[in-house]
Amino acid sequence: MSTQIPIGLLFSVTGTDKYIGIDALDGAMMALEEVNADPSFDFEFVPHVRDPGDSLSLFRRYAEELLTEHNCRNIIGTVTSSSRKEVIPVVEKHDALLWYCCPYEGFESCENVIYIGSTPSLHMVPLFEYVVPRFGANAYIVGSNYIWGWETGRVARELLTACHGQVHGERYVPIGSEDIGRLIDEIEQKRPDFVLNNLIGHSSYAFFEAYKALGERDPHFLPENCPIVSCNITEAEIDSIGQEQLLGHLTTAVYFETQPNAENQSMLDAVHHRYGGERRGSTYMVSNYTAIKMLAAAIRDTGSDEVDPVRTNLHARRFDTALGPLKIDQWTNHAALRPGVGRFDGLGFEIVSAADELVEADPYFVHFDAKEFARKIAEQQKVAPHLRVVK
Amino acid sequence: MTNFNTPNFRGWRAVIVHRHSENMERLIRQLARLGIEAELVWPSLEGVESADIVFFDGDNAYDGVFPWPEGHAPVPMIALMGSEAPGRLEWALRQGVSAHLLKPIGSGGVFSTLVFAVANFNQQRELAAEITEMKSKARLRPKVVRTVISVMQQHGLDEDAAYKLIRDEAMKRRQSVEALCESGFFDPGNGHHSPPKPNRRNTGSR
Repeated sequence: MSTQIPIGLLFSVTGTDKYIGIDALDGAMMALEEVNADPSFDFEFVPHVRDPGDSLSLFRRYAEELLTEHNCRNIIGTVTSSSRKEVIPVVEKHDALLWYCCPYEGFESCENVIYIGSTPSLHMVPLFEYVVPRFGANAYIVGSNYIWGWETGRVARELLTACHGQVHGERYVPIGSEDIGRLIDEIEQKRPDFVLNNLIGHSSYAFFEAYKALGERDPHFLPENCPIVSCNITEAEIDSIGQEQLLGHLTTAVYFETQPNAENQSMLDAVHHRYGGERRGSTYMVSNYTAIKMLAAAIRDTGSDEVDPVRTNLHARRFDTALGPLKIDQWTNHAALRPGVGRFDGLGFEIVSAADELVEADPYFVHFDAKEFARKIAEQQKVAPHLRVVK
Repeated sequence: MTNFNTPNFRGWRAVIVHRHSENMERLIRQLARLGIEAELVWPSLEGVESADIVFFDGDNAYDGVFPWPEGHAPVPMIALMGSEAPGRLEWALRQGVSAHLLKPIGSGGVFSTLVFAVANFNQQRELAAEITEMKSKARLRPKVVRTVISVMQQHGLDEDAAYKLIRDEAMKRRQSVEALCESGFFDPGNGHHSPPKPNRRNTGSR
């Protein structure tokens, strides 16, 4: 019998973020079973799945239990920053690894976490590099009232101010609230160049719905004139938002289902085979799938699931994954990725812009220069004035 | 909403006054992630004067360890505390500490401690400069009172009019009222028997 390696899967598949949690867990489970079925791995993963729901304290308790009672050295999971912050002290205490696979607000670099998601330098920056030359630098910012919304809004303000743009309004609504009428009224009155959407869940869905109605009575707010741009909308939420509601709007991600790399194509085939032809791939699903595959490769190389050899191995290699090529930075433990911008065309995200090469993660914006960013955007506006959509 | 630009420490140099330990290795790595080059010094404090920020061992450092008068560090000081014994906290406070970081050093906390330390240090320095200026003004207050009385007598003005005349002249010369009064500009016998006219700039010398 081959060696059994326990692995913790910690996702909320009930509660507020359940759709993201289900997508993430499905991706992880699929990868895990592929590894177990592959004779080139001389070990077998034994999954220990825990669902903390909306309880932050359960994240901590389950993480402790996975590491001490089930001897897991690796936990894949958590979606929200607040749940990740609960698990970090536990993995630090037991010197284990947490694999975190979601976009987040950055300003963190823990030696016991492998970060596969993007931080603002990999989502806000490429998004604005695409949007500002085409639509302008005057934004209206909407968000859910918690750290993701606030911090994304703050970074947006900093980037847009550097480009001599203005924030025409910045409003936050309670998580889960669908009361967005006042936002729509204010947007209609302020007439920004685009709307940055940092809403989550039902607030986001209600907002897309109301914005569509706004565009129908005033063409300034049609997506080709004044799009909604987001950093956290993925294929996982297309059906919740609605295809008509999302049509023409923009989102940035480190993965789109439509990307042409061979690893993505074969993963999607497996997704359709396992979960049905209607099932979509999303950043959440594919990043967690990728994390398991990377862990398996590192264990095969080093012959161990211990943190030190696995981490050292991860730092030393470059992976070709369903997400695309990927490297883990040895200083920040964050993945270098290829961020892109997608425009929803009614079926999926048409990739309208993508980085040619891997972009290093910069979770603390250490190497970011706002003046250089503004200069690059101004140059694009000069070289290609036709980019500007005529209203 | 206010603009708060992302703090950036790229290119900074930190000196860590502490014995070598695994904790300090973690701190150095965390600082490197923030673009800060850190140097561990102990027991001799070479290069400490040219640092942008100083971390020091709040548990073991002692009087006279820094090459500046106690409480007058030229850069932000961050205490690395293991012990919370009040005697050690008092010693750290006397150094003019801007923030502290608890040992063991984890991945979290270094960035926020740096941001708070730098903000506190700058605020302290601004406050100290303001206090120095206020003290100087307070010291010269009797001179201002004497000048007001003198101008009242010279020009037959009431107190408010005399003060206004002095203040207008000070504003014209971009000087504080106190400094102008101290300069003896309005002293009797200094040619100011009538209210001074604009552009008479060469009459202010003692």
